[in-house]
Amino acid sequence: MAGLELLSDQGFRIDGRRSHELRKIQCKLGVFSQADGSAYVEQGNTKVLAAVYGPHEIRGSRSKLLQDKVLVNCQYSMATFSTSERKRRPRGDRKSQEMTMHLQQTFNAAILTSLHPRSQIDIFVEVLQSDGGNYCASVNAATLAVIDAGIPMKDYVCACSASYLGDSPIVDINYLEESSGSPEITVAVLPKSEQIVFLEMNGRLHEDNLSKVVDMAVKGCKDVYGVLDRTVREHVSQVGSSLET
Amino acid sequence: MVHDNQLEKSNKFLRIRSVHGRNISVVREVYRRENVPCQSPLCLSDCQNSTGDGGLSLLPADVNHYLIPDCQVAREFLEVLENPVVTGIIFLQTVVHSVQHEGSKRLYNRLRNLVKDKRKASIIFHNEFQKYAYCEREEGETLCDWQTRSTYAAAEWYFHHLATQKPIIMVTLNKQAIEKYENKTLNVFVLSLEEYLRKFWQSHIPEVMELYESLTASLETKVKEKDYKGYLPLDILESGVKSGRFVQGHINVNRNNAGQEAFVRQKRSGSTVEDDRDILIHGMPARNRAVHGDLVVVEVLPRSEWRGRSSVIKESQEGQGEGDEEDGATDENVMPTGRVVGILQRNWREYVASFASNEQVSEKGGKVLVIPWDYRIPKIRISTRQVEKLKDQRIVVRIDSWEIDSQYPNGHFVKTLGPIEDLEAEISAILLENTIHVSAFSEAQMKELPVDTPDNPWCIEEAELNKRRDLRSSHLIFSIDPKGCEDVDDTLSVRELANGNLELGVHIADVTHFVKPDSLTDMEAKSRSTTVYLADRRYDMLPGILSANLCSLISGVDRYAMSVIWELDKNFEVVDVLYGKTIIRSSYKLFYEMAQAMHDGISLTEIVKNVPELQNMLEEETEKRVEELRCAVTLLMRVARCLKARRVSGGALELESVEVQVQLTETKSVEDLNPKDHLEIHDTIAECMIFANHWVAKKIVEVFPNQALLRHHPLPKSEQFENLKNCAKSKGFDVKTSSNKALAETLDRCVDSKDPVINKILRMLATQAMSVASYFSTGSLPRDQYFHYGLALDYYTHFTSPIRRYADVLVHRQLMAAVLAEGSEGLPGNQELDELSEHINHQHRAAQNAQRDSQELFQYLYFKQKDLNNECCRADAIIFQIRANGLMVFVPRYGIRAPVYLRNKDGQVLYVQESGQSEWTGGSITKSEGSVSVNSLVGSMTLTLLDHITVKIIPNSSRAHASSLKLELISTEGYALDQDIPTTEKMSKNQKQAIIQEVRAVAEEKRTQSSSEDQGHQFHSLKAEFGQTPESESLYSLFESFKEMAKKPIS
Repeated sequence: MAGLELLSDQGFRIDGRRSHELRKIQCKLGVFSQADGSAYVEQGNTKVLAAVYGPHEIRGSRSKLLQDKVLVNCQYSMATFSTSERKRRPRGDRKSQEMTMHLQQTFNAAILTSLHPRSQIDIFVEVLQSDGGNYCASVNAATLAVIDAGIPMKDYVCACSASYLGDSPIVDINYLEESSGSPEITVAVLPKSEQIVFLEMNGRLHEDNLSKVVDMAVKGCKDVYGVLDRTVREHVSQVGSSLET
Repeated sequence: MVHDNQLEKSNKFLRIRSVHGRNISVVREVYRRENVPCQSPLCLSDCQNSTGDGGLSLLPADVNHYLIPDCQVAREFLEVLENPVVTGIIFLQTVVHSVQHEGSKRLYNRLRNLVKDKRKASIIFHNEFQKYAYCEREEGETLCDWQTRSTYAAAEWYFHHLATQKPIIMVTLNKQAIEKYENKTLNVFVLSLEEYLRKFWQSHIPEVMELYESLTASLETKVKEKDYKGYLPLDILESGVKSGRFVQGHINVNRNNAGQEAFVRQKRSGSTVEDDRDILIHGMPARNRAVHGDLVVVEVLPRSEWRGRSSVIKESQEGQGEGDEEDGATDENVMPTGRVVGILQRNWREYVASFASNEQVSEKGGKVLVIPWDYRIPKIRISTRQVEKLKDQRIVVRIDSWEIDSQYPNGHFVKTLGPIEDLEAEISAILLENTIHVSAFSEAQMKELPVDTPDNPWCIEEAELNKRRDLRSSHLIFSIDPKGCEDVDDTLSVRELANGNLELGVHIADVTHFVKPDSLTDMEAKSRSTTVYLADRRYDMLPGILSANLCSLISGVDRYAMSVIWELDKNFEVVDVLYGKTIIRSSYKLFYEMAQAMHDGISLTEIVKNVPELQNMLEEETEKRVEELRCAVTLLMRVARCLKARRVSGGALELESVEVQVQLTETKSVEDLNPKDHLEIHDTIAECMIFANHWVAKKIVEVFPNQALLRHHPLPKSEQFENLKNCAKSKGFDVKTSSNKALAETLDRCVDSKDPVINKILRMLATQAMSVASYFSTGSLPRDQYFHYGLALDYYTHFTSPIRRYADVLVHRQLMAAVLAEGSEGLPGNQELDELSEHINHQHRAAQNAQRDSQELFQYLYFKQKDLNNECCRADAIIFQIRANGLMVFVPRYGIRAPVYLRNKDGQVLYVQESGQSEWTGGSITKSEGSVSVNSLVGSMTLTLLDHITVKIIPNSSRAHASSLKLELISTEGYALDQDIPTTEKMSKNQKQAIIQEVRAVAEEKRTQSSSEDQGHQFHSLKAEFGQTPESESLYSLFESFKEMAKKPIS
């Protein structure tokens, strides 16, 4: 696949987007009735399901119990059919564990944890199809699920990735761009306050360009926020109208 | 998400091959939009065209049409589109992708540069991102059809987008596409490239049409050249070979026409093809990635596709071949032709190679083509980062693979041998190319060997003394060898017995006593098989302690020997023969000239002066001894003369020149270094050796009829003598080749009293026509093929030089087992012996080739340092073969055989004027029987076989291959014919020696120069800084000496 032109002279990326354009995001709240909250997010070809249970009593070992705040328990897993070659282990491999940890950190920062001491919130994320930006899609889906479950948060958590190609930053990178060896920055922010709750970078990027890329990613997060917020409002109005009748 | 609503998402399904070689299906999204910039100033909608200096090219407004090439045109005729006059080209994204994936990276880069060039005013249009220009690939639609369809769709869109202001022309090579789309939309034209160029450009730029035609032509040949086919599966190959549908054999590339011709010798004769002629493999596609030496399976093509081999001496790109293949077949003379369908075994080895002189240093880690030293090996692609460093070096490479889609095999760099034209590097190249390994003997091997130092002298063992016959006091034994010979492996004795009979003894060094079967030394000797003599050095088969000392039958010391002793009656008929191990002490180590002189009767003082063994003795004693020795030598010569006469008449075999010639080539370098006239004593020694070999062969074949190692010389093929006959005919001689006797007799008669060289050349040609003698195991050949044609003996083997030939070692073991009636235990069986003899034959050939190569190298280096106008670069030459475009000549003075071209590569012919001026002009060459005439514009000349001509010797340097000498005709008259011939002959040998010495001296000089140059003037300062402190000042050595002192016991 050598020699693929990731960014053409006219500024088109390999999938026809321009550098500042996000992939198409489609989402839905309340996809499951058994879970307290659930959501489905499609970000391009990356498709993620999230389910939230809780807050409820600590399950399993009570030693994990926290006296002053809620325990956020996450689980990230990828379906065996999510990649082009069948995945052997859907969860528990190093990458998934890392992802789980990152999700946990992100939502610990976003959820108002002190409201539910000595209890637990479970967030389960399942990647159904993977095409780059798995973390971002997972965070976005989990946010919607948490909102669906009615758990108070400081703000939406929106995540978006960005990279740097040639001499311009590109936003929301897909699998092909991810695997081309260019740097990848993943940011999760609270859009209203523009607080960064999570930031990770893979690959090498010159310091001078860092702020450009981060700005691009934050702008991407805000765009994501727009979509999520619209979806939530639509969902709520739907639910509200169905209650009225 | 600004443009979210304008974007339309769809998926593209691809099947790609993953890194692991598995096919996986991949889904990629594609977003389409309406506002893809059209880059045209005529645009009426608000396309955000980037303009200005930093931006992209814009299409010109002033052309009468825009051009859209389709994928195939862009891939194959980009060069046409690169013409600066052709502007306003729209390359569609579809087309660019096709260039990128189906074309090459280089092509893609060219396309990008074209688009970047603003003068060309050409653009890339992303039609696949344009919502309306794009068309989805339908199910079952071929890639090619889809590409054409989307190209046309984009062309239409463009036309409408610009509101029909500009006609659009789509060029294609696809005829169906033209038919299909031609009349679909007005002003969107679909034309073939040819038509387009003719209509629009031929009047302005006629060369564009020529370019188109030459590209088309080269494309056609390229398609033909490149299509290698896959190999058939192994089981089909095997069954095909068994059923006779395919033929199996080793592929042999014609050195002089390596790009075109290769041959496969059929292993089993006469199954599919009526005769056992070689099968011609013509062209690289038919050869199908087989490399010289591979074991291949060949399918014979139908008779209509058979073709003949070319009789032209090819002047190859880098240098010239030596052209020693036999002629006689012309283009009409078709031979079975086939193509390779499978390869059973690759016989890839390490190849010596070098970079082409103009190899550009590409980016780091690039792929580079290297040219192997051997003409028969195709170029090899290696990847290296050291191009700069290795540019002028001879390097060793290995082939790794040859992919089906690759024109050349892939390989890797192994090591470097040294700079090109450096003597040592060239010699190691020669050795490597001939697969001769000459590493030093290992320590473990040396440990096996007996020692002989001044402190610990070697002496014969008591046990051996009892087992062996002691000839030390009873026999007068002496050796006759070339002067300065170190490895004396044969000695002779002759004496009269009491009953009046004669006793002749041949005593050969007993190498097998020291070299036990399967010992390390034995293994090593087996793998080397022979001592290799190069022009200026030799590589021994056995370690020096054996070859120059313990096995060498030097005078005055006791040595073990294997003896063959005959009792001959008055008429020199063999009465009795005795084989056995002995202990001898050679009394005299004579050299040929001395022995001959002794026989001819030179004075006593002269003898004493030249024979060290006779010095410091009482005069009477000396006289007695000299007389004794003189008697022995004379008697020996008498015996030999008679034996030879008997062999000549009885066996019908006066092919004296042949076998002696062969023997000469086997030991040639020694003889070359010690120039001498041909003396009778040479024949004497040779005859004794032949006699011994013959009797040993008789004995071992009698005892081991199924596993004796013999040497046979098969009948030559009659067609091989064509050239000899032609040559002889041109001088009015008639050579009969019906039997060896007839041949020998008629050759004797071919003597031109005025020109003695003629006879020599005819004999040389006869030798050339001979098959090659080879070793074999008696179990694997029918009895009627045991004979030796050249010597006319029914059995023959090699027994007399065990120090330098491994075959003799084997024969010694067999003879000993035969004599002691031990049975065949411990001896190699037939199967093993057969393989061994194959190996030995191969090594012998390799050694001879290496020797020849090294001599050519020295000749080349010699002439290279000579001025071209130097007297010694002109020489007399004799024509011995006439070829379609030149002559093969022999230069007696230097012993060079090489072609002289009469027609050069441009088809011009050479004409030599009376004044000695030669020039190349247009003309023709007519070849008739025995002569060739050149008709040129200036005049005509005729050359006949065996004519003397004068040639200029020009060193023909060649970077990649072995450098050689090139001959140029400068006069049709002989050169310096007044020189009497014996001196010329002598000269030739002296010359060779002089050449070798001179070349070596120059090489030495160069080395010393370069080493001092390397360090240069900085040497002293560097030494002061980094060199070791002299021992006298060094504290380190002082402390070390204290330490040593402490270890010593206090006395």
